[in-house]
Amino acid sequence: MNVAALDQPRGTLEQRVFLGNGNEAVARAILDIGYDAEGYYPITPSSDAGEAVSKAYAKGETDIAFLVGTSELAAISICAGAAVAGGRVVDVTSANGLLLKAEQMPAIAGLGLPMVLNLSTRDVSAPLNIKNGHTDLYAALGWGWLIFLAPNVQACYDMNIIAIRVAEAVNLPAIVAYDGFHTSHANRRIEVFANRDDLRNFVGPSPFKETLKGSNGRFSLLDVKHPRTFGPYMNDDLINTKVQLDLKFKEAHALIPKVFDEFAQLSGRQYSVIQSHGSRGADRCLVALNSAGEAAKDAVDELAERHEAVRVILPTVLRPWPEQEWIDALSGTGWVAVAERASQYGASNYLANEIGATLQRHGNNAEIIQRTYGVGGLNFTREDALALFELIDAHHQASPPARTDDEIPSLPFAPEKSYHGAWAGDPDYQPAPNLVPLTVEECTINEQMNGKVNLRKLSEMPVRFEKHTACPGCGIFTTLNLFLRGIDGHVVLLFHTGCGMVVTTGYPLTSFRVPYFHNLFHNGTSTATGVVEMIKRFKARGDLPEDITTILVTGDGGDDIGMDQLIGAALRNDPFIVLEYDNKGYMNTGAQLCYSGYKGQQAANAFYGPQQSGKRTHHKDVIEILRGTFAPYIATVAESHAPDMIRKARKAQATVRAGGFAFCKALSVCPLNWGMNEHVGPSAIEACVNACMHPLYEINHGITTITIDPEKSKKKVPVTDAFTKMGGAFRHLCDPAHADLAQEVQQEVDRRWQRLKELNDNERL
Amino acid sequence: MAYHLPFRDDLGFCNVFLSALGGDGANTAAKLLFKIGCSHFGLDGGYDARYGSEKKGTATDVSVRFCEVGTPVRQSGPTDRPHYLVVFHPDLIGPLELYRGLQDGAVCIVNTVQTPAAMRELLRLTHGRVICVDAARIARETRSRLNVPLLAVLCHLLQFPDDQVREDVSAQWPRAATQNLAAFDAAIGASVAGEFEPDDRFAYMAPKTTRGPLGWRNMLNGGTIDALTHSTRDRDNRVAARGRVPHFDPAACNSCGICLTVCSDPGGLLWEDGKMVGIDEAFCKGCMRCVEVCPTTKRGHALETPTASTSEGN
Repeated sequence: MNVAALDQPRGTLEQRVFLGNGNEAVARAILDIGYDAEGYYPITPSSDAGEAVSKAYAKGETDIAFLVGTSELAAISICAGAAVAGGRVVDVTSANGLLLKAEQMPAIAGLGLPMVLNLSTRDVSAPLNIKNGHTDLYAALGWGWLIFLAPNVQACYDMNIIAIRVAEAVNLPAIVAYDGFHTSHANRRIEVFANRDDLRNFVGPSPFKETLKGSNGRFSLLDVKHPRTFGPYMNDDLINTKVQLDLKFKEAHALIPKVFDEFAQLSGRQYSVIQSHGSRGADRCLVALNSAGEAAKDAVDELAERHEAVRVILPTVLRPWPEQEWIDALSGTGWVAVAERASQYGASNYLANEIGATLQRHGNNAEIIQRTYGVGGLNFTREDALALFELIDAHHQASPPARTDDEIPSLPFAPEKSYHGAWAGDPDYQPAPNLVPLTVEECTINEQMNGKVNLRKLSEMPVRFEKHTACPGCGIFTTLNLFLRGIDGHVVLLFHTGCGMVVTTGYPLTSFRVPYFHNLFHNGTSTATGVVEMIKRFKARGDLPEDITTILVTGDGGDDIGMDQLIGAALRNDPFIVLEYDNKGYMNTGAQLCYSGYKGQQAANAFYGPQQSGKRTHHKDVIEILRGTFAPYIATVAESHAPDMIRKARKAQATVRAGGFAFCKALSVCPLNWGMNEHVGPSAIEACVNACMHPLYEINHGITTITIDPEKSKKKVPVTDAFTKMGGAFRHLCDPAHADLAQEVQQEVDRRWQRLKELNDNERL
Repeated sequence: MAYHLPFRDDLGFCNVFLSALGGDGANTAAKLLFKIGCSHFGLDGGYDARYGSEKKGTATDVSVRFCEVGTPVRQSGPTDRPHYLVVFHPDLIGPLELYRGLQDGAVCIVNTVQTPAAMRELLRLTHGRVICVDAARIARETRSRLNVPLLAVLCHLLQFPDDQVREDVSAQWPRAATQNLAAFDAAIGASVAGEFEPDDRFAYMAPKTTRGPLGWRNMLNGGTIDALTHSTRDRDNRVAARGRVPHFDPAACNSCGICLTVCSDPGGLLWEDGKMVGIDEAFCKGCMRCVEVCPTTKRGHALETPTASTSEGN
């Protein structure tokens, strides 16, 4: 809370006194900075940083899109989606939350998406402990994120401001780490800027417009006039993205001190990448992060009064690693105690290794003593620091420290580090455009058809993708193409990992004529939430004139591993379409079973033999799972019934245009892994529809309608008729030897079909 | 069985490189080759397939490196200096620059109806042997697969006794043994060899490097692709169709549009003013789904499966 104006402002900007804890200081910074979105999932001890923002939103004090995911992974994926759209985004987490985000963390860095993740540090452990420790922080050291440290409540506020400024300047994400409980829950009197506009001059406006121009070195997924493929599949070129990452860290290394200085002018609070407290040249030195380093300052002062020259060093930047600054800070030191809230079991500790290596590279022979301290929230006080200085003394007397040379050569950041086998590229390479972006006019065809489906007319719909390298006869792109013919206007496509993304975006070429983003195997629905929230926001602001339909394309596997995120998106009723191509297996990884597969189906991890007969369980029904979300539009489609699919695509688009969530599932053949001939796809799909193994129906605002009824049209066939056509993975089910198994599948299919008919006949079901 | 490696590089390896498309069976053939070498001829070495984004119909390769037992096997991944090169599709020689890294005196086996002299030109072979075999026709006629006739010729040239290899081929695919052995014998009988002395026509070319014009300096942020300048639209997907593109008869077509609904890459179905006018072969992978759904009109079927392969084996 604000309590008073400052009597004597020290910086050029007006400030006020604020009473609050570390989490509240973070929240205050988030509100002051002016973010477009916050992805959120609660975890102790960072939860209330998000709660405070949520509360401010409810009161009307901020217009931030505060988006609650179904997990920490979902929350950070929402952030990735909002960031790739061009939004300024932030998140807060701790411990296991960070580890659950782990697969997204290097991806966000690799994609060059700036954002700030506040990490209220906490031990990751069993037995469970929710208190402070740095095991979460250390896990993040190699993820390609800038890491700022905030040793006290004031720094929580300040580092958030500094971090977003640096992150957006170099296009890297940034972690701001502060100690769980010691800082997150410590209430202090701090200074905050009185006027948000002042601060926004410092951090700059929301980056969206700049991303449309590309003037900040990155682009927006929402730039439909200049479609780009974000997150392509990449083989040999990947190493070059790593060079880019390191070069960004180098840029950040040069920039951070300047931003610190600029911030000092405004606030009167000067930070440096390494804070040193005590007598320069003292030969005894303690390194301690964050709250422990703060506490140790009092020990240093006490020893100074006793005329004992010691120092404590607190880094405020861990990534980039400020090598030269460490050397400068440790110059003249003979003994360094590195105290860490973590252990690298069976090996030298994290920071001790890095400091040791740095010293060695520069010919500094200072001896390093390592102590793990304060894990599980054990407090670290002045007395603890004094004890560590005594420890140094004991070593000191046992063997006098070697004096180091004060004249350390001035070398740049990580001087020995480079890459072998990367390449810079041809500076004169200027490829000519070979694609003209699609326009709304040429993609508006369904609207003119008065509800009718005329395939000939739909032939005029431009393809949104072309020339992929999928296997001949693959069902994925047949389905996607047909579905997209029923979708008018601008489209943004998101893909889960799977064959579909691999065969379309092999770097450096893309098959997509529309904006595209791939964000791993199971995060697409949350990512899409971030995207559509930014579409809403930028439209409301008047910065985005185009109407855009966002579609996530996933395989059936993506809806296994991503089930929680899918359900979350459906429950939030976010306005985008999910199109699932269900080819009954994890085909991109080599035909392992998916829960969607039929009982008895052979898969690379469910063979049939004397002891096992293929998949052990009946097919998962994702539509019926989603029924319980009461999402406005849920349907099944099949390429064998084109007009039906077009009608459903139109309804799905109408649903999202009205602000709701739509899900469509298509059965999709995989000739390669089903072991079928390439041309058989259409008739195999038709057989599955006619066998009621993939019934075509929709749940439109809760009302179930069977749209294709094979019984009524007297086309219903036994499941074995379909299995015969579906290839080697299913054909054994037609053998008399497996008649019982086939009968079991038949009974289950019939049971579900009967149930579906009841739902169809009763509006209230 | 006593066996002497026909070639050895400085590390003691004889390198075999098979260039094929996903689905050709090159991996299985190479795995069998490695097994034969290790089981019967006392060899050691390595079998390394390429892993990545390859799907059926896209270019891939596999390497087998043989050495004597006792030679340290330390290198991994594909060989870039083949002594034996097996080309499943000669139209890939140029695009993939398969001539790079070919050892002096290399043995090249090509699936083609053309002459060894013509293939030598394509392969820019400094000197060595080129063996041409119409493996596509043999595979078709014997109802075997492309990999068997090419494996037969390769093993024969490696001086693995035919009888031994025939036995291993039968054991590998017991249900297709008759067809495969027919293909095996036909390939051995029908291959045409050409010997080329050093004549300064071509110089050794260093192995291909993967470096493209885009690198860390000019790659967009995070590897983003600019669709306007890096679209696949100019790519030629023809090779994936293996020459099997549906035959289109405009007279029989009533432009119903059903083919559009089953095609996986329908930009290749060419339409003008609401009428279908043809197929762009650069798109088509030859799956024949469209043929399957094409309705019968008064003038027959607009889309038909071509009678025989046209480009395969050229």
